[in-house]
Amino acid sequence: MRYDTVIMGGGLSGLMCGIALCKAGQRVAIVTSGQSSLHFNGGSLELLGYVDGQPVTHPLESINQLPAGHPYQKLGAERIAALAHEAALVLADAGLHTTGNANENHCRISPMGVMLPAWLTLEGYVALPMGKDCPWRRVLMVNVEGYLDFPVDFVVSGLRKQGLDVVVADVVTDELEQRRHTPSEMRATQLAKVLSTRVATEHLADAINVAAVDVDAILLPAIIGLTDDSLERLRQLVKLPLHLVATLPPSVAGTRMQAQLRHYFQMLGGTYLLGDTVTCASFNGDAVASVETEKLGDMPLRATHFVLATGSFMSKGLAANFERVYEPVMNLDVDADGSRSEWTRYDVLEPQPYMTYGVATTADFHVVKGGKPVPNVFAIGSVLSGHDAVKNHDGTGVSALTGLAVAHNILGK
Amino acid sequence: MNKIYSTHYDVIVIGGGATGAGTARDCALRGLKVLLVERNDFTNGATGRNHGLLHSGARYAVTDGESATECIKENMILRRIARHCVEETDGLFITLPEDDLAYQSTFVEACRKAGIRADVLDPAEARRLEPAVNPTLIGAVRVPDASIDPFRLTMANVYDARLHGAHCLTYHEVEGLIINQNRVEGVKLLNKFTGERAEVRGHITINAAGIWGQRIASMAGAKINMFPAKGALLIFGHRVNNMVINRCRKPANADILVPDDAVCVIGTTSDRVPVETVDDMRVTDEEVQVLLTEGEKLAPALATTRILRAYAGVRPLVASDDDPSGRSISRGIVCLDHESRDGIGGFITITGGKMMTYRLMAEEVTNMACRKLGRDVACTTAETPLPGSEPQQEKSIEKTISFASRAAQGRHGALADEIKADRPSDRALVCECEGVSVAEVRYAVEKLHVHNLVNLRRRTRVGMGTCQGKLCACRAASLLGRFEGDPERAKQQLAGFLDERWKGVKPVAWGSTLREAQLTATIYQGLCGIDHAVTRKEGEQ
Repeated sequence: MRYDTVIMGGGLSGLMCGIALCKAGQRVAIVTSGQSSLHFNGGSLELLGYVDGQPVTHPLESINQLPAGHPYQKLGAERIAALAHEAALVLADAGLHTTGNANENHCRISPMGVMLPAWLTLEGYVALPMGKDCPWRRVLMVNVEGYLDFPVDFVVSGLRKQGLDVVVADVVTDELEQRRHTPSEMRATQLAKVLSTRVATEHLADAINVAAVDVDAILLPAIIGLTDDSLERLRQLVKLPLHLVATLPPSVAGTRMQAQLRHYFQMLGGTYLLGDTVTCASFNGDAVASVETEKLGDMPLRATHFVLATGSFMSKGLAANFERVYEPVMNLDVDADGSRSEWTRYDVLEPQPYMTYGVATTADFHVVKGGKPVPNVFAIGSVLSGHDAVKNHDGTGVSALTGLAVAHNILGK
Repeated sequence: MNKIYSTHYDVIVIGGGATGAGTARDCALRGLKVLLVERNDFTNGATGRNHGLLHSGARYAVTDGESATECIKENMILRRIARHCVEETDGLFITLPEDDLAYQSTFVEACRKAGIRADVLDPAEARRLEPAVNPTLIGAVRVPDASIDPFRLTMANVYDARLHGAHCLTYHEVEGLIINQNRVEGVKLLNKFTGERAEVRGHITINAAGIWGQRIASMAGAKINMFPAKGALLIFGHRVNNMVINRCRKPANADILVPDDAVCVIGTTSDRVPVETVDDMRVTDEEVQVLLTEGEKLAPALATTRILRAYAGVRPLVASDDDPSGRSISRGIVCLDHESRDGIGGFITITGGKMMTYRLMAEEVTNMACRKLGRDVACTTAETPLPGSEPQQEKSIEKTISFASRAAQGRHGALADEIKADRPSDRALVCECEGVSVAEVRYAVEKLHVHNLVNLRRRTRVGMGTCQGKLCACRAASLLGRFEGDPERAKQQLAGFLDERWKGVKPVAWGSTLREAQLTATIYQGLCGIDHAVTRKEGEQ
């Protein structure tokens, strides 16, 4: 099977890259296990949230404070601004409407009630101005009894710390009540399926309307709006503005993003090989000729270009054994400390060095093997070295922007 | 529960490990008015940091016959009085090609002398009984080893002590002793949550503080020569073996593999460490290397099994009084009457020994206390079952329908009936791996001295399963915040819990363990921003 480009990994970076290539008329295949870090998403993309522990208000202005190896330093502020603009348009084309822009961060509310800087937030999710007064005085926090993946006390306490007056109401509907009898099924994505029928959404709206007295807005855990229009319907049925607050995983927002982007990619003609994993690559000189996957066996995928979008350790894009950190598909050069005791720090909330490990790349994101750039293979997203997604809150931004940037590189723009 | 209700006791016991809890129970059963004080949480010291092995005594049979006899006697007693804490696995002592097979007959002979059943097995038979065992073994002996849950055992003692009138305080540190004319008359306590100080008096003060006992004794002006021996262990993410596997040779490093609930534990190393370091035990890369290398010899599957965590405990070994250099260190029970030894009245130290012999240690020290108090009451702990170990009633078996209530019965035995889950929301699962419900968390907060997530983990196993607290820690923290009415403090505790977990993960952070660590960081820091919600880290408190 022959493609213009084969992308290894179908998370945010792989899909953004694949969409941009398909739009330019390329034949593209994405090989993906189906799991990606989008499943831990809180409804927002983050361009750059923190530098050295300090919150960032204007991400484009703070990029020069990042270390030299950071992927953004390879792009530069001007290109980042253009790519960020393009990313928002791609998301909108995929049906993911967002608020926010790259010039100024806003805040999302985390499942622990923390205000965290964000770049783009999905429509329907809380997005508050950063460092300015909150538009609401008094809000209703809807709680679903027995649903434990939304630590409501944490969220309420966090909101109160912001000076908000919060009323909590337990909301029960027949549909939710039924689900409660099987406690292990009280997960966000399961509830979103239950709430997706017209009747279930109406019942929820009725219950919320009863509780929404003398408040400016309604906050609901993100347990609705998986792949359908139930969130829009609910927002029309309730009598006051309603916004979702992220839950613990599985994430409804992330599942929605993944599904919409995948759908859009396939609509553009892209091939999405779900449930498969690239096992190895065949080289022809310095360049990669083809890759093999678990399921396709001896039918290799040939392409002009290959893109590594396999993610960090948690997505198995990187691996570590007793002695070293390595890239498991092509054994590419990695940026990582040699001695295992250097990988981690003793204090859990300190920046952990392993977080910044990843494959080494050239200025235009070509991967490197044995000290030499591989001419037709690029890397994007979390598999790249030089950024700490949990400390800088830049993971989704790096994924979206490097995905698009590499697509442009491949297209020769 | 954690309040000082009285200022005068017959006996004050210092230390909330198995020995202290057992002593408090023994005193209470004999009608003494007793206070148990612990500066941290129950089981925080060596009690909670060992293999969880119910020794048959076979390990000591060749080198220390007296300990071996003690062990097998206590082994049989604990199977009776603490059924719900013991899993009857039996154990193998295997001989590998590099070991001397002649040692096996010495071993079997010594076992029989100590009264330990020891059946020599054909290697093929051993492989059939325990498929995980190293298949190259050339000999095997079956002995009555078992696995025991030290957390559950200690809490059952605390629970019974309370039922019999004992008062128990956690997070109360002994800052000093009240001494009057060469007599210890009580303790000076600091409440580590509130900062309040109080004096409590007792006719007898028992020092059962384990390795920290040296410090307590020095407050009375008594000198005990302790030799802290650090033992490091690794927990694996699966129960690889169903029987305890030991090496049939002189006791050495990493030669015991114990199945424990859904996981298994390899250990230990043994190294002398300075007394000053015992509060901050870190497992080193070298120790991990030794444990892995030796562990794989017992069960080769360990090489490919995910390591959950590493941890280390400190054995309170004591140098005998006539040899202060520490060359002859006893592993036996040491019960010191400071009146005859140092001229300090009202003060006894119980130390040395093993978790296995905690009940016997409690008996000996309580006997001494009774003699001093002029009370002639016999010890009954060898016959009186611990709460929870009673055979379960028909009705409770009928009621056992859900995974969570079955799991709770496993943890609390017959006491699980006290967990009230009348509403559906009470039955919601906090921890899926271990089947812990909202109702069980509430029960633990109300009845089992739970003040933070680490306490809760030890009482209910929340976060101890294969997921290692990925989501359940947050769920449980949120509930604690609700039950105690302080969500911001609960966020601090959650950060403390994550830090405590990380201390165990760091030494083994490679492979899937590193992968899981990154996932946890992504959820708690990336998604939740816990690092921006807490102002300072809270360790054990």
